[in-house]
Amino acid sequence: MPAANVPVLSDHAERVGAAAYWELLLNLTKREVKGRYSQSLFGFAWAIIQPLATMAVFTFVFSRVGNMSGDGVPYSIFAYAGLVPWFFFLNSVNSGTMSLITYRNIVTKTYFPREIIPFAQVCSRLLDLFAAFAMFAGLMVYNHIGLTRWAWMAPVAFVLLILFTTGVTLITSSVNVFYRDVSPVVQIALQLWLYVTPVVYPLSRLKPQWRFWIVLNPLTGIVETFHSSLVYGRVPDWPVLGISAAFTVVVFGGAFALFKKLDRYFADVI
Amino acid sequence: MSEPVVIRLDGVSKRYRAGRSRTVVDLIASKFRRGDEHVYSAARGKVDANVWAMKDVSLDVTEGAGLGVIGSNGAGKTTLLKLISRVTWPSSGRVQVAGRVVSLIELGAGFHPELTGRENVYLGGGLFGLPRREIDRRFDEIVQFAEVETLIDTPMKRYSSGLYARLGFSVAIHSNPDIVLVDEVLAVGDAAFRRRALEALRRLISEGKTVLFISHDMWNVRRLCDSILWMDGGRVRAFGPAAEIAERYMNEVNLRALANQQNALQSHRGGTGEIRLTQVDIVDGSGRPADRIVEGSALVVRAGYEAAERVHSPVFQIAIVDVDTGLVVASATSSAGDMPATVDGQGVVDCVFQSIPLRRRQFVLRLTITDSHQLVSYDVVTAGPRFAVVAAPSSRAGDDDDDDGLVALPYRFEHRVTSGVR
Repeated sequence: MPAANVPVLSDHAERVGAAAYWELLLNLTKREVKGRYSQSLFGFAWAIIQPLATMAVFTFVFSRVGNMSGDGVPYSIFAYAGLVPWFFFLNSVNSGTMSLITYRNIVTKTYFPREIIPFAQVCSRLLDLFAAFAMFAGLMVYNHIGLTRWAWMAPVAFVLLILFTTGVTLITSSVNVFYRDVSPVVQIALQLWLYVTPVVYPLSRLKPQWRFWIVLNPLTGIVETFHSSLVYGRVPDWPVLGISAAFTVVVFGGAFALFKKLDRYFADVI
Repeated sequence: MSEPVVIRLDGVSKRYRAGRSRTVVDLIASKFRRGDEHVYSAARGKVDANVWAMKDVSLDVTEGAGLGVIGSNGAGKTTLLKLISRVTWPSSGRVQVAGRVVSLIELGAGFHPELTGRENVYLGGGLFGLPRREIDRRFDEIVQFAEVETLIDTPMKRYSSGLYARLGFSVAIHSNPDIVLVDEVLAVGDAAFRRRALEALRRLISEGKTVLFISHDMWNVRRLCDSILWMDGGRVRAFGPAAEIAERYMNEVNLRALANQQNALQSHRGGTGEIRLTQVDIVDGSGRPADRIVEGSALVVRAGYEAAERVHSPVFQIAIVDVDTGLVVASATSSAGDMPATVDGQGVVDCVFQSIPLRRRQFVLRLTITDSHQLVSYDVVTAGPRFAVVAAPSSRAGDDDDDDGLVALPYRFEHRVTSGVR
């Protein structure tokens, strides 16, 4: 044994390098996507069908029956632009909450950074998100809506959306390991969440006393920015976006800290 | 210079909560009853809520060691492996490890049945921290070792469980580990693969890797490991040279099994029932009841019977069966001629073995009463009393290290030179 190879005792698992864990994230994502769409007739098309169908429902209910308008653009485009990020959030949190339990056989048997599992859930939904956005681009062209220079704000909203979604998923997945009540609570909360986020109605339609509370929801600024940058092509509401960004960073940071604090007990209680 | 320490446990304890998991009601209740760490069990009332899977274990394992981990179920063996692999964390104490650990607690645990073997090699390799480039390089080796060349592009749900395990094992040992933890996983797979798996583990040890090997198969443990850690009730019972610890362990296991079984015969058993065994005792050469027989000494099986009706010339058969393998090493039959022409009522048959040339193992008696043509079985006791063959007090433990098997044949080697050196 050469002297250079003297093993050093460590209190933590050997870090095998970010590259290997990146591979693992990609592989788990692949496994997730394959598992979801195998033995399904429409397969990947569901990524587009889900927001389209919901758009059709809301368009009928809000604009035909409820007389809601899209503030100068077709209501359907407005609703779709909000529903695409919304479904990304909804689906990620929904499947992410149960993810550690679903993968219990590897959580209890091998060591690897546990956050890769919820990360893979979010990543697997990214594919759906891109597909739905491609559809959105088609709708824009069809309705003769062009992009303006404010379109560059969409990637900012996109990054915030991923961070916030990942943060919420980290919290729900880790706490769900200890209390399975989290899953049904999340189901209910997500149903309500849609209505406290300006996904299918414009923020401007709200009464001021409501508006204050709705703006505290981090998704509000994110969805509003998708609306303003892509559909309306105008400057985002900076204070609203600022509040969202601040909360998103706090939620993600707090969620990651909580997850790392809890993850050493996963194998014991799962 | 001694080898460096690669695994160090320092006063490690691991506690699990017993009973059902806590509900909101328990949570609220615990706010009022502070420090009350009890759960209620219907059978035992209030019991301690804490189960100690491991209690105050300190241990140093040096580099390149082949360490067997033995002990009964619930002794803390798997907990030890999970602590070393960082799957779980100690409740108190410190676990330090040097180098990359690969744990084979379950083979192919990370595989997905919908993915092909090839895709799963990359998925599983990633779980062991192996980057894609590295897997590319060793891919053929992995597939060859597992012998799954023809099925590598087939989804793994079509694999047999043995094949599944083989690929899992192959990925694990090819993932460039410093420390390999093996938990009773070689039970799957056929004999040829088991042998190759053991060979692979042995090669890893010879390459200076450290292998911890949990197994109930003393034979494999002895062949692979130079030292043994004996866990008992979450504590280290003994830690030392393989031959010595294995000997002590086997002796205790045999004695414990003997203590648990009485001479009571099973109530449900085969046979037509005209004549039944009522009592079977093992006595030693001096007529005292014994459950331990010294190597090479005499053994008497004393079988009491009761005939419900007049039975013509019954034949008593007594077989000594090895507990582990089920092999019959001796069978004694009292032929019709040794018995009265008819039996009625109660009686006792003694079967005297002048000498028991058996190795130190545990044996069980199998008893049968048949008619003189051995066509009808009156009574069949497949698992009768057990006895252990133990070493004579004068012999040293482990002195016949290279002798295995069931029967001790007296032998000696003689050597003659047949051609002279010029």
